[in-house]
Amino acid sequence: MDAIDDISKMFHIESEKLENLINTAITKPELSVHEIVETYYQIMNVSSMIAMLKQQIDENEHKTFLDKIQETEKIISTKFDSAIHPQIMEQLANSIQDTTGNLQSINSEQKSKEDIENEAKLYEKLRAKMSTKEFVEQYDKGLSHD
Amino acid sequence: MIEKLTQNLVNLKKEFVSVYDGNSQIQEVIPVSKSELFPIERQDLELLHQFATKNPIYYNSYEKIIGDIHCIVYEGDINKYWLNSIQHGSSHAPFSPTWIMSAYVGALFAKELGYAEVIDIGSGDGRIAFCAKVLDMESYSIELDDMLVDLQKLLCTILDFNPYCSDAGIFDYSLLNLKQPIFFIGGLAQMGGISLASDILKKIDTMYDLWNNSGWVFAGTLSQKYAPDPKNEAGWGTLIEKNNLKSIQSISLPTAWTFHEPDDTPYVFAQSI
Repeated sequence: MDAIDDISKMFHIESEKLENLINTAITKPELSVHEIVETYYQIMNVSSMIAMLKQQIDENEHKTFLDKIQETEKIISTKFDSAIHPQIMEQLANSIQDTTGNLQSINSEQKSKEDIENEAKLYEKLRAKMSTKEFVEQYDKGLSHD
Repeated sequence: MIEKLTQNLVNLKKEFVSVYDGNSQIQEVIPVSKSELFPIERQDLELLHQFATKNPIYYNSYEKIIGDIHCIVYEGDINKYWLNSIQHGSSHAPFSPTWIMSAYVGALFAKELGYAEVIDIGSGDGRIAFCAKVLDMESYSIELDDMLVDLQKLLCTILDFNPYCSDAGIFDYSLLNLKQPIFFIGGLAQMGGISLASDILKKIDTMYDLWNNSGWVFAGTLSQKYAPDPKNEAGWGTLIEKNNLKSIQSISLPTAWTFHEPDDTPYVFAQSI
């Protein structure tokens, strides 16, 4: 088995992982912060592999592999960039707005130590959503520069 | 004395971190009484405790011996202030306080350096300005967030540290009739601090008599999360050089945001060349 077979095998594993994540994103009404980060990480991972492989692979010698790369590229473009990514941006924006509104409406008088520390967990979740939104917006900026 | 006091406070923080088992968002300690390690006047310590007791960000307190020091632990939550502060378009950094003891040590050092007035920029709950007042310096507190300024007004019933609700970048400092001021800049260099400090430096530069007499204190970071400044000074080196300032000394002090970090916050003291 030569090096290109190893790379091809690795690419198949990674692109399959990505397709599973994309299918989860399509079927689930709302993704958790962890799922969002995992999906974007895999998108970036596979996209980097594609960019590198397209420069290195001989079109005539490894046509099947190149077809697979182009198929994965199309999935990223049509399923993720055009559909899932805008939905995630919207989901995060709405969720941040709702959580912010809820936290602002909580009566701050007469709270026990436990109430305050439980409420602090909601703030932690809000901060996680906000930093995820920043991360997703960075991806979006990358798309608009492509 | 400052170096020793600073080191003792850092050691106390380390000891506190190792024994703290609570769940509060922020937590800090203040020694109960004057000691060899903390040779602070009784009336000053009492005022620091009053600041914490009256301050609504703290919801719990208890006594604890940490190392050999009898302390009061204050547990607090700043979430609602954080939420309010991030909604200001020109807010450079969300509210996160230094320790009250660190504010006191910072103000004490400013006094030892000969400064007469402390201007606490992006002052949060105004603790640095408060501590300067405890040390009989004149002090002013500039804060953009109205909710935090309301909180400061409540704390001003202990000692009036002159809070102003204003954008520090456009505030008219000539109103304060300053003679020998030192400006404490809230916010890390990498979190909007550079822009905030540059605006204020520019303003003071136009007040010719004041520029040579002014001191500057920048809250830095050694965290690898942030890209280092090529001129160092915990993120402030380039700004210091560009504005013809020189760094006098840096002291590391505990802050809410470094509670779980091995390195404390370096406060870089600088003045004009």
